[in-house]
Amino acid sequence: MNDLAVEVSNLSVRFGDFVAVDRISFTVRRGEIFGFLGANGAGKTTTIRVLCALLLPSEGSVRVGGISYDHNEEAIKSKVGYMSQKFTLYNDMTVEENLKFISSLRKLDAATYEQRRKELFDFISFDRPLSTIVRDLSGGTKQQVSLAAALLHDPEIIFLDEPTAGVTPASRGRFWKLIRRLSEKNKTVFVTTHYMDEAEQCDRIALMREGRIIALNSPEGLKAATFSTPMLEFTPRATLTFAEVSAMARHAVFLFFEPYGLRFHAVIKSEPEWETVKGDFEKRFSIRRIKPSLEDVFIQTVERRTI
Amino acid sequence: MKNFVWRRALAVARKEVYHILRDPTTLGAALVLPVFMVIMFGVAIEFNVKNVALAVNDSDQTQSSRRLLDTFGSSDYFLIHRVTSPHDAVTDVSAERARAALIIPPRFEKDLFSGRGAEAQILVDGSDNSTVGPVLSYVGSIQNMASQRIGDFDPTPPYEIRTRFLFNPELNSRWFVIPGLTVVVMSILSILLTALTVAREWENGSMELLLSTPVQPLEIIVGKLAPYGILGIIAVVFVYIIARTVFGVPFVGNLLVFSFGCLLFIVTYLAQGLLISVVTRKQTIAMQLSMMSGMLPANLLSGFIFPIESMPKFFQYFTMILPARWFMQVARDTFLKGSGLIELGVPFLALIFFCALMIFLAAQRFKRDLEP
Repeated sequence: MNDLAVEVSNLSVRFGDFVAVDRISFTVRRGEIFGFLGANGAGKTTTIRVLCALLLPSEGSVRVGGISYDHNEEAIKSKVGYMSQKFTLYNDMTVEENLKFISSLRKLDAATYEQRRKELFDFISFDRPLSTIVRDLSGGTKQQVSLAAALLHDPEIIFLDEPTAGVTPASRGRFWKLIRRLSEKNKTVFVTTHYMDEAEQCDRIALMREGRIIALNSPEGLKAATFSTPMLEFTPRATLTFAEVSAMARHAVFLFFEPYGLRFHAVIKSEPEWETVKGDFEKRFSIRRIKPSLEDVFIQTVERRTI
Repeated sequence: MKNFVWRRALAVARKEVYHILRDPTTLGAALVLPVFMVIMFGVAIEFNVKNVALAVNDSDQTQSSRRLLDTFGSSDYFLIHRVTSPHDAVTDVSAERARAALIIPPRFEKDLFSGRGAEAQILVDGSDNSTVGPVLSYVGSIQNMASQRIGDFDPTPPYEIRTRFLFNPELNSRWFVIPGLTVVVMSILSILLTALTVAREWENGSMELLLSTPVQPLEIIVGKLAPYGILGIIAVVFVYIIARTVFGVPFVGNLLVFSFGCLLFIVTYLAQGLLISVVTRKQTIAMQLSMMSGMLPANLLSGFIFPIESMPKFFQYFTMILPARWFMQVARDTFLKGSGLIELGVPFLALIFFCALMIFLAAQRFKRDLEP
């Protein structure tokens, strides 16, 4: 059996003149948690929609769960589960009615449905009555019920498009536990997110910008590849003026200098060079060496066009 | 279409029923609106002109002039009040105290007997053209009667022209209007309700959920049409019952033929509403488009208010592309004439054509992908 859950080569999606996805290629292994990171409009959702057979690719070849796109859309749809960015269950229907509706569309028989529902409610620890109207659920619970709805037909690959947008941090934590458990069950999870702490939990991450994948690696690999010299954190001892900050940002010793809350993250060009100016900076800042975060990687690769 | 699965269509239909039942506004609109409209049109809008206020100045005060007045007064059409001068009569009309004025000059009887021919003047408020036509035609017929009654010395005319209206002998406007109302009520319900449903799914994102499952466009369409179709039929039954019991409109045709016409028209308009929402994907635009393309033609161009025969030639042909026009003919002819399938062949064929066309277009335009 094929070990690859998703194979994409030279995929392009165009809407009129607008190129949403520009010749991207990547593969996702079975059981992997694969993250998509990028600004809004970078093409993440468009790519996911193609992989869920919701959108026709303009060019390129796509295989999902071993099935090629032009082969059979319906077969792809039965292999994948999709949870969209928007909350898509019907607010005016009960939890049970929503799930039953989806199970009918997926042609599950009653016994399978009952069994899957019990398993999934156990999985997401859903303890509200089935007759609860979806509108009355909290944001976090809604997301979990949506996940259950996407998993109803036991798909091999699960696509989650910003699944934790707008829910509380505690709910986000619980949701990611579920994602890891899915991966342990050898399900492939394909997730887009804006949260860096979530991206850290992916096995591999693809960084997207303007329809292209500009980096693809594990979180650690991305950090190592982006920053080869040490990263320092500067905490100012006194308030800085805007002119001082911009002077530092242009200082020749730094490859990278970005504000990070009230502090600054900087990457130096080389150790010997740094040693010559270090004493000067230490008067105004307390400085410590840190490991770069994914956010630094994101700022460096996605938001900055040139170094 | 390949792989049509009834179970999926049924699931969509059941879901749609939940939406309808949990949205009291839709349900209320669907069931109360027809009743309200029938009663409103039936009671308030009276196309027959009765009790027209008529200001009369009789300066002659003779037997002949009184006879003329009696003729006007004894008809149901006019409500007479007397004024003292011709000038007052004109003032009454311009002040809208009267819709018309009758002025009889002093020498009316003399002129009549002398054989020179007598003249009396009728003034009609021309600014209100809904009364001008009827008033003039009443005046004409009354004049006929009056000249017979007044000029008893005249030889009776050798012949007499009498207009008799077939099928609606009293020209009762309600009989004509209420069957037409079935068209208007159904057009509002069916096109508006469905136009909103698909657009709503696009707006709240649930269309993505639907499309991420293997459900086929035709299954969604059938599933969505069915519940609203039933709602539409219930509304028609309401209209029918009120028409028959409250307003005593006769139904001389075949109920099956009428029902078949209703069904065809409802499905056509439902599909048209669906097509609109499939294309627009926005509830507000869908609503406006369905008003423009469904409700306005049903009201104005179907012959409901303005007879098609009196429209400019271009519009007479233009109405042929409107399903409402054909169903209007079916509704009126089955109610009042008792026409069957054979006599209504052309309207029925037209309806079947539009019905198939709309369903085909809706299914065609229903994009399976989420392209924005």
